[in-house]
Amino acid sequence: MSIFSHTHIHVRAIVKDDDLSGSVQPTDTAADSQATPATTPAATPVADAADAAVSPKDAHSTGVGDSGRWSTRRIAMYACFVALSMALSFVEFPLIPGVPWLKYDPSGIVALVAGFAYGPAAALIVSILGFVPHLFISPWGTLMAWLVAIGLSVPAAVIYRRMHTRSGAVLGLVVGAIVALVLAILGNLVITPMYAHMTVAQVAALIVPALLPFNLAKYAINCVVTFLIYKPMSELLNKSAR
Amino acid sequence: MNISRFSSPAPDSVATPTPASAQADTNVNDRQGLAASLRHVRYRYSGAHDWALDGVDLDIHAGEYVCIVGANGSGKSTLARLLAGLSAPDSGMITLDGHPVFDAAGAHADQYRLARHDIGAVFQNPEDQIVTTITGDDVAFGPENLGMSRPRIGDQVAHALKAVGMMERIEDDPTTMSGGQQQRIAIAGIIAMNPAMVVLDEPTAMLDQDARIGVLDILDALHRRGATIVHVTHHADEAHRGQRVITMSAGRIIDDSTVATPSLDGYSNSSEHPAKNDFRHLLQTSGMPVTWLHPGSIDGRTPLPSDTSPVQGVMSLAAATPMTAGTDAAGIPGTGSPDAEEIPAAHPPAPAISVDHVSFTPQGAVSPSVDRLTFSVRSGETVALMGTNGAGKTTLIRLLAALDRPGSGNITIDGIPVATDYRCTGNADERRPTQPAERLKSRLMTWLAKPRSGVRPLSRAQRVQLRHRLGLVMQHPERQLFAQTVAEDVAYGPRNLGLSEQEVAQRVDEALELLHIGDIRDRSPFSLSGGQQRLAAIAGVIACHPDVLLLDEPTASLDETASARIRGLLADLHRRGVTVLLVTHSIDEARAVADRVLVLESPTNARQKVTPQSADEQKPADTLQSEASAAASSDGIPAIPSANTADIQPSKARRTGTGRSAIGKLDTRVKVVAFLALMFSAFAISSPYQLAVGAILTAGIVAAARISPLQLLARIHMFLFLFVFAGALNIFFVRTGTPLAHIGPVPITDDGVHTAIIYACRFALVIILGAVYVETTTPTAMTDAFESLLSPLKRCGIHVQEIALVLSLALRFLPTLRVEIISVAQAQAARGGSIESGSPAQRCRAMCAIIMPVFAASLRHADNLSLALDARSYEEGIHRTHWHEMRMHARDGVFCAACAVYVAALVLVALL
Repeated sequence: MSIFSHTHIHVRAIVKDDDLSGSVQPTDTAADSQATPATTPAATPVADAADAAVSPKDAHSTGVGDSGRWSTRRIAMYACFVALSMALSFVEFPLIPGVPWLKYDPSGIVALVAGFAYGPAAALIVSILGFVPHLFISPWGTLMAWLVAIGLSVPAAVIYRRMHTRSGAVLGLVVGAIVALVLAILGNLVITPMYAHMTVAQVAALIVPALLPFNLAKYAINCVVTFLIYKPMSELLNKSAR
Repeated sequence: MNISRFSSPAPDSVATPTPASAQADTNVNDRQGLAASLRHVRYRYSGAHDWALDGVDLDIHAGEYVCIVGANGSGKSTLARLLAGLSAPDSGMITLDGHPVFDAAGAHADQYRLARHDIGAVFQNPEDQIVTTITGDDVAFGPENLGMSRPRIGDQVAHALKAVGMMERIEDDPTTMSGGQQQRIAIAGIIAMNPAMVVLDEPTAMLDQDARIGVLDILDALHRRGATIVHVTHHADEAHRGQRVITMSAGRIIDDSTVATPSLDGYSNSSEHPAKNDFRHLLQTSGMPVTWLHPGSIDGRTPLPSDTSPVQGVMSLAAATPMTAGTDAAGIPGTGSPDAEEIPAAHPPAPAISVDHVSFTPQGAVSPSVDRLTFSVRSGETVALMGTNGAGKTTLIRLLAALDRPGSGNITIDGIPVATDYRCTGNADERRPTQPAERLKSRLMTWLAKPRSGVRPLSRAQRVQLRHRLGLVMQHPERQLFAQTVAEDVAYGPRNLGLSEQEVAQRVDEALELLHIGDIRDRSPFSLSGGQQRLAAIAGVIACHPDVLLLDEPTASLDETASARIRGLLADLHRRGVTVLLVTHSIDEARAVADRVLVLESPTNARQKVTPQSADEQKPADTLQSEASAAASSDGIPAIPSANTADIQPSKARRTGTGRSAIGKLDTRVKVVAFLALMFSAFAISSPYQLAVGAILTAGIVAAARISPLQLLARIHMFLFLFVFAGALNIFFVRTGTPLAHIGPVPITDDGVHTAIIYACRFALVIILGAVYVETTTPTAMTDAFESLLSPLKRCGIHVQEIALVLSLALRFLPTLRVEIISVAQAQAARGGSIESGSPAQRCRAMCAIIMPVFAASLRHADNLSLALDARSYEEGIHRTHWHEMRMHARDGVFCAACAVYVAALVLVALL
């Protein structure tokens, strides 16, 4: 049984939701066919219901390392997502010309995609582990990054899990961005004075001219890119489910 | 090798034999002494129409050496996966190592588990099978999963590494090694688990000739010691090393024959080495004009150990019959003479590609991968670029596409100066600028270009121009696909050229038509077959209408239909007058499409005799991205070709800091908690006295870690600008105190300067402590500590062991994905995509064009990795043992006490 037992539902929902994608539907079975009642005790009732439409015959599970919530596939997938998040977290570039220290890095997209594909727990794991290398460079900054990354991806994943539609995805992203924005500003009030000799009031004065627009732009990019790539991404996830 | 069966205590006790069906029971009795037995096995991939395996019956006896051959898609890899117990069929019956794993009742997980502990699996991609960044720890991963005792793991690791000849590298990082070395370590990881049967799926597919022989010799040795070997291969010469060759076609076994003479060492060697000379011979008798490019062609004294006569590495443009190498080139008259050297520019029309004395040494490498190369390609010519692995073909393509800058030499493409060498244009001695003003200008340009490089790259405008004229099809171009439909993807390049939507649509139609893939235009690129993806990706490059097209092995690992399409395309482009430089390994392909052949001689080959050890290290893993190749070649190719020095030096380098020093010996759990406490508390430093206390402690820690200040500086130099920045920021923010000066309306006060210094210094302390921690801690130790510290959370139902493994694997794959990101970004840049410039919509699209393929790369690695984890018997929640012991010592207590005293001192100083 594959870790996609709940993934393909999202995939299917988003495919159903999109009237342009009729031609890609046959590949949907890639994920569906992975679940066999005999070898998948961990399959959720929802997943089973969805799988009922497809022949369970060609599941190629041996029932050993590829079963359960933490199959080797799932571990490998999380590991590569976390590695990707780590790698992207070092790809920083300034968003606003002239303000070089407010840097954008695309690692947040990975946590969002992981959350959409595998649920809030995956979003949490990718958000936290993805910034571990930074812990030994900028300890307080890492705490801040964790806070914001979780604020963005976990609510989005929770909402998307409840509403597997395009509008659910949009709602999740918007709510996530708002939560992250609030956390980012609160966090900056506490942490910025440690890096620069500023009072909380001085930082607060920066909220409207700097913090708000920068963070807004940051989350907007993350959300837009996630929204754009999630459909081809789910296609890929389906295809790679052996 | 010790083949005595090892029964792992933990899994044995866990697994209770399931009552198999009566039918299965009788079969077990029938098949004693069989390593594997398959009956009527059928397998179909989900979503596919055809059976990958269609009624396979096969018995493999214990101790046999079986080779499985067949075309791409014949089902041989699927069969290997079934034999390794990594996947279950749709129907049929499978018995592995006496365990009835699959029958009419389906898969029996417990039986699979038992069988799998006795079966090892090795896959094609060496890199993705490496699970951690220290060779010894990587090999220990399997034994740990089997729950072996600590001393036993140590024995197994040593034994396995000795069996593959990698014992000296036990402490090195396998991720920076060559593909051949990585594959040997992957095999060691399997040997350490004492398998009765080893299943290998094209283990040499990504290796060069010498590394292949190394791996094959290991298989022979394993077989001699009694292991059953199942080797899937597409090399005929490899297949003959086995006792039995099984040929697959369309999911069925069409031939099962016993090799008359069992493999002998002498036989195999005699069959391997002519292959290399065959290439030379085949090329010479192919009837194609061939030019051999040797390094260093200036003086005509090319010191070659090979049998070739000294030949100028410069090709003659005028001579219709080019030079040939080799004294026995009977078919083609060697008319080329050293005097035939011409400066390409002197000949109208100007060549489309002109390469003049170009050398390139990857960062960190000792020897150049491209050495003083000179050649040119006429406009409208189709030229095949050939050469052995590691000869620098891909590097050359990257240089031509301006993805890397040569260390010296000139490159011109279609009149665009891709690289201009200011020290030597044409001839190093004669063209040196003599006028002082000229010399100054030259020096200035050199300095502006990049320190220690005399080569000026192209300007931004020239780069844009180059993107318009030059098309680049990298290796595996399908890995750049990103859009929702094929048509969208193909349109990416033309859109970046700023064409109107109408023109874009026209270009897309035309490109799809040229490759005959109009029917898939509205499909998602990710739902296509590998061959279709390749064609779609190439269409994306063709749609930009390049005048010059570079292709790096465009037909590698493609089936015949797709390969034929690509050859057809090249013929079409040739008729249209496009200049094509095609890297290929196939002489047939070269003959089919190319006007002539350039053979790149490896700089290493030409200069020194190739010993198996050093040759093994030439070819880095997977595709040659500059980052990866830089790391591999710096590690692999020693300046003096001595295997011993090469082996020992990296080990020494690695051992500084780790293990030996007082800090390195600390229990990692203590270290991580203490260092984090020190780092967080450093932000409380606000007076010079506190700073002094902090500096003393940090200096003490650096000394105890035995890290030289220079080494430390090398690690943290990129943060230096941050210190300066942090300091400068505070100067402007602090308005209290006596003003010292004014910058505009902003007063600079003594308080400001004081604060700036304190903040910058405490930030420096944090960075130094972090660097010391990272330098003295291996990723394995870090994740073990992480797991141990978080183990109380297990009670809350959190999968601590799995999360720790995720972290460990992530740290291992971090550099791999970094290379992927760089290579995708470069490929998309070659199609004109840019995140840094353009409208927000364009930049967003550019970002998707990078992020999407990078995700695809992550999934690809994850697929391979999950198989590798399965092959090493990893399972959720198993009882694992740890090779490295974590135990507190007195020194850990001392360190904790020191840290506590320090924090107390900080507080005390603040109160005073």
